[in-house]
Parts: sequence; C-alpha cells; structure tokens
Amino acid sequence: MGKKKNAKERSAYNDDMRKCITFIVTKDCQLACKYCYLVGKNSKERMSWDVAKRTIDYILSDTENFSDECVQFDFIGGEPFLEIDLIDKICDYLKIEMYRRNHKWFNDYVFMVTTNGLNYHSEKVQRFISKNITHLQICITIDGTERKHDINRIYKESGRGSYRDVVKNIPLWLSQFEGIHTKVTISHDDIPYIKESVAHLFNLGIQNVLINCVFEDVWEEGDDKLLEEQLIQLADYIIDNRYYIDHTCSFFDENIGHPLADDGNWCGAGMMLSVDAAGNFYPCTRFAAYSLRSRKPIIIGNVYSGTGINKNLLRPYLTLKRSLQSSEECMKCEVASGCAWCQGENYDAADTPTIYQRSTTICKMHKARVRANNYYWNKLFRKLELEGRREEFEKSKPTVNNTIC
Amino acid sequence: MVQYLIILLDDASTSYCHYSNRETKRLMPLDTLKQGILYAMKENLMIQFVYPDYELPQEYKDVIDSIDHSDIVSSSCEDAVIKENADVVVFNGWTDIDSCNLSDETAYVIRTNKADLFGKRQLLKSLISKTARLNVVITDVETFTEEDFGTYKEALAMLSEEVEKLYMEGKYPQMNILTDRMMLDKMNNCNAGWENITLAPDGCFYVCPAFYLAGDEEDFGLGKAKYSIGDLENGPDIKNPQLYRLDHAPICRHCDAYQCKRCVWLNRKTTYEVNTPSHEQCVVAHLERNASRNLLNRIRRHGTFLPEREEIKEIDYLDPFDVKEEW
Ligand code: SF4
Ligand code: SF4
Repeated sequence: MGKKKNAKERSAYNDDMRKCITFIVTKDCQLACKYCYLVGKNSKERMSWDVAKRTIDYILSDTENFSDECVQFDFIGGEPFLEIDLIDKICDYLKIEMYRRNHKWFNDYVFMVTTNGLNYHSEKVQRFISKNITHLQICITIDGTERKHDINRIYKESGRGSYRDVVKNIPLWLSQFEGIHTKVTISHDDIPYIKESVAHLFNLGIQNVLINCVFEDVWEEGDDKLLEEQLIQLADYIIDNRYYIDHTCSFFDENIGHPLADDGNWCGAGMMLSVDAAGNFYPCTRFAAYSLRSRKPIIIGNVYSGTGINKNLLRPYLTLKRSLQSSEECMKCEVASGCAWCQGENYDAADTPTIYQRSTTICKMHKARVRANNYYWNKLFRKLELEGRREEFEKSKPTVNNTIC
Repeated sequence: MVQYLIILLDDASTSYCHYSNRETKRLMPLDTLKQGILYAMKENLMIQFVYPDYELPQEYKDVIDSIDHSDIVSSSCEDAVIKENADVVVFNGWTDIDSCNLSDETAYVIRTNKADLFGKRQLLKSLISKTARLNVVITDVETFTEEDFGTYKEALAMLSEEVEKLYMEGKYPQMNILTDRMMLDKMNNCNAGWENITLAPDGCFYVCPAFYLAGDEEDFGLGKAKYSIGDLENGPDIKNPQLYRLDHAPICRHCDAYQCKRCVWLNRKTTYEVNTPSHEQCVVAHLERNASRNLLNRIRRHGTFLPEREEIKEIDYLDPFDVKEEW
C-alpha cells in the first residue's frame, strides 16, 4: 500500500445491485437529529394505503422501466416504524401481487427498513419481523457511544438524547439478524468521538460499521487534521485488537485513495425510485422537497397521473459521468477514488439548478481519510507479513460495504 | 467562446426559433441599444438584430447602421425596406407565404407546428425551388408521438424527392432538415450560451431569447425558466458555462446528427438540464439525419457529389440514448 495505482471506482450503486424502490412512508420522526438532511420533516405527510397500493400496482405492471432481475423495497421516513401497520400491509400486498402476477421479483426480493430503533421491541414491529424474517433487513442507526450519539440524536420534544432507548434494543436486533451493519454519519461536532464510537459499536456486537462524513458544507478549519488523528487512533485500535479479521469499518477500504481510470458516476440517483405520501416519484429520496434546502424537488412522475415515470427527466441521471460534473482538479486528483458525492446535495448546492455540478466540500476530509487509510493498510499488512498471515487474510478478509446513502 | 450577440430589439421581435415571442411591445431603450453595440464592438462580436413588426424610429435605424450586422425580420414586418434587405425572413405560420415575393438572396425560416407541417407538406415542397435557403423550425417538437415520427419520416422522404430532382437540374437549394447534414462533418448546433448570447430590451444578457421571453412565473419544474446571465454594466457572467458546450453534453457529444439544433431551451424544458435533450428532439433530428443519408446516397447515384464528404453511416437507432452502453 501507499503506492498509487489506477483503481476502477466502485460506485455506491453498482449495475449488479438490486433495483431500489423506496417508500417514504412518513415524514414524521420522534427525533430531531441535528445533522438530519431532511429539512422539511413534518407530522402531516403520512402515506395512505391508496398511494402505496397504486404505486405497487404501477411498479409491478411497468416491466419496461422495472426490468431489473431483483429488487429491494426500502422503507424510510422520518421514522418508518411509526407506520408499521402500513409497512406490514405493503409487504403483504407486494408478496401476494408478485406471486399472483408470476413476477420475477418474487424469486429475489428484500425488504429493508432503516430505523432509529426506538420502537424495535414493540409487539407490532416484532410480529412484522417474524413474518418477513427470510426477506428482511433492518438497519438500526446508532452513532456510537452515549455522548457521541446524544450530541445529535435527540428527541424532538424534550431535546433529550435517545441513546439509552436505542441501545436496549441492540441485543434483540443482533439476535435476530446476521451480518448486520449500522450507519454512522459524521458531522463537524462528532469528529472527536469517532474512535470511541466505532470501538463501542464493535463492542456492542455490531460487526460492520458504515460510516461517512456528511456532504453538506459543515467543515471548519482543522477538521481534516482532527479526522485524521481520530482515524489513526481507530486504525491502531482495530489492528491491535484484531478486529480486522471479522469486523469492518467503511472508513478503511483498500480501494480508496488512488487516481481514477474510469468515468462512471458515483451515485445511483435515477436508477432508484422513491415515492412519497403525495404519490410523487423522485429519482432518489434526496430530491424530495423535505430533503432540499434551497431547490425545488425533482418530481419525475406521480402515481395518480396515469403516465408513470417521465423518462425524459431520467435521461440526465442515466447519462451522468464523473467528468461531466467534476472540476479539472477532481479529475486529476491523485487520491480521487472513494471521494464520494451525493447527487441530491450537488443539486442543492449548485450555482444553477443542475445535477451536473459536483459539490466538493468533502475534499479535505476525503484527503484526511486517505492518509489515515494508507496508514491503516501499511500497518496492517506489515503486521500480517511479520506474522506470516498475509495470505490467510487475503483469502478470508471481510468485504467492506461502501454504500454512503 | 462567444462570437455572436443577438440583440432583441423589442419583446415583440419576431421569434425565429422554438420559442414564442410576446405580443406586448417593449422597445429596447436607445441607450441600451447603443451600449449593446459598444459592447459587441469591444468584444469583437458579430451582431444579429431581431426586429419587431412595426417600423423602428429613425434614430434607432441610424444607430443600428453604425455597425456591421445581420437582420432577422418577420414576413409580416411593416418596414418594407428592412424586410427587403433582411438576411433572414421568418414566416410565423403559413398564411402569408403564397403572397410573399421570395428572393434567392434571403434565407427563410418557416416556423410551424407539426400538424401544419404534415398538412402542408405539398406547399413546403413547392417552396424549395423558390428559395436558396429554407429553414424549417418545428415549434412543438416536444409533443411528437410515435405516430408523428412516422408521419415526419414520410414527409422528409417526399421532400427529399423534390430536392433530388432539383439537384439533377443543377439547382442546389438548401433546406436545413435535409441538406445541412450532407454538408457537415462536425456538429453545427445552435450553441446558445456558448457561441452566442442574447441582449434583451431589459439590458440583460440571456442564453437565448427564449430564456428572456419565458413568463416571469413560468416554471418547467426546476424553478424559474426565465433567467439572465448578466447585464450590460458588468458584462455576461454565465454560471456553469461548460454545460452549454458540446463536450459537456452527455448524449450529444456522442451523436452525429450534426444538423441538430441541440436546443438548450428545449432541453431545459423537457429534461430540466440544458445539456440533455429529450427523446423527441433526438428522434426528430435522427429522422432528418437518416433522410439526409438517403438523399446523399441517391444524389451520388447520378454522379460524383461532395466527394470530400464521407458517407453518412447507417445506424440502427433513432435516439443515441438507447446505445449509451456503447459509449
Ligand atoms: S436555444 Fe437555440 S435552438 Fe433553442 S430556442 Fe434558443 S435559439 Fe433556438
Ligand atoms: S439528436 Fe439528440 S443527441 Fe444528437 S445533437 Fe440532437 S439533441 Fe443531441
């Protein structure tokens, strides 16, 4: 490691991945996380059964736009489990309809719920889990140690931290699912707690931690240095405690930090579909009004229009290339691979209403991450070589999931 | 690099393209006109004036005459002198075409919707021999259906028979939708926002007149359709200028329908992105491209013609987006 090589970028949404269809079942949440990109959360917009059913009927009948071999139905919010009855009904109807229509997705579908974990133990949620366990993934978001989690993840009404209410559900979650991961989002205030938080999550029994810096413009002078220090401490911790054998933290990834050879897009917006309570379709949830600070939502269809998706509106997404949205500096960057972006944030932050202007506020944080990442692999490989275990590691090393949204 | 400045003398100046003009008059203040001309002189830009139908005050004519320029006027312009000497005369619809004295010194534009185009193709055919250059601008390209594509293909085939016949007689009329592609070996698009910009009566610069004439509240989805790119005082300041260039157009940069306008206004209207065309714009342009291909091949059967031009390749798609996996 340390030597540069041209890498083929792994995008956050690979062609061989499942079609992602996201139901924004509610825009309400018990929490008011400080970093939450959902600027327009509210308790009014809850998806009705009519919208959900029509959406399913449309998606399952439009085999031209939904020709993918397999599918993942995502449920997000707000907090999706606030609408557990609806989610349960949607999943039942999906199963029945896929079977009745002899749809190819019946052979390969996944339900995925991303939750704050507060209602995880409730009877209704537990009943839903046992009913769908063979096709279900659940991601509980927990940010790390109590003090780190509670900096951001606070109750809307009381402002109290939510750590204790979430952590008590972790053992149940771990007992029900294998290979689970949690997502951790790093904003300016969280940087000093990264090492202790990832260590804490590993200690709770969560083996895979998906972690990324927010794409919004929150970074202050010195944040990159601080991130680098935290990640070096974390690298030492993972290596010294041999967590590298069967745990992953997505900050450390052999594929990042190289010049780029390919011109693919990073983000999967446009290849996915999100639907909200009004029955509006979006190229990704980040283009819905409640996710945008300063721009209008990009609505590519509505379930009540009868015309499905406006394919012209998807053309910019499906032909987007790295070189068409990046500055020359980014294209020539020696450590470009792994430097991610979010198309929705790009659109929100651009000088004109376009998805073709890449926001690079993450630049210095990515470079700091690359330095720590280089340190991690150099240290780990040297250790493994000295122990004569490099080959063994190469054969059995866990794969890092680099999904960032 | 910007090379042309289009000066829209009035809100009611004729449209010569895909957008519609306004009916209410708003003449550019004389001082703005003078400053616009001064700007063009300093920046070495060629000026194209776009006229309203009423006769301009003499002081305007004097100022306009102070600089080398070209004129775009409507066939219904009341100023006979301007009309007679115009470089481009625009027919907004088909009503006064028959009665107009067509000159072979002038380029003509016929702005038509698809229904009229299909219905009046015989009339259009008869105009080819009467003009040296005829540009057809379809004002509702974005509404084309599969059926319309079929009808347009037939219309192009019929028109190319006429062009072929005239070529055999030693006449070489030009018609944008049929002959331009034969003569081109690289893109020749509108290039608004890149090679040309527009100065409007409000003293601001726009990508093209369409971006000025859009209603104040007009919104295709991404916010206001009307936006300016600077003013006379500070000069143009185009945000994300690369998006108007061919090399930043994800589909068009792979395309060989070289005659296509690649209309950034229609792009914005239909896909929300100025650099991305709609399916309809692409298919229409490819029907023209393919009709040109057939025409070129047929003319060449009669003898050597444009020997320096390569054959236009046979392709099996009408929308380059459909072959994006091959790029
Ligand atoms: S962008 Fe060009 S082709 Fe389109 S309306 Fe404007 S001038 Fe015409
Ligand atoms: S046909 Fe389509 S891809 Fe080709 S130049 Fe025209 S708009 Fe662009």
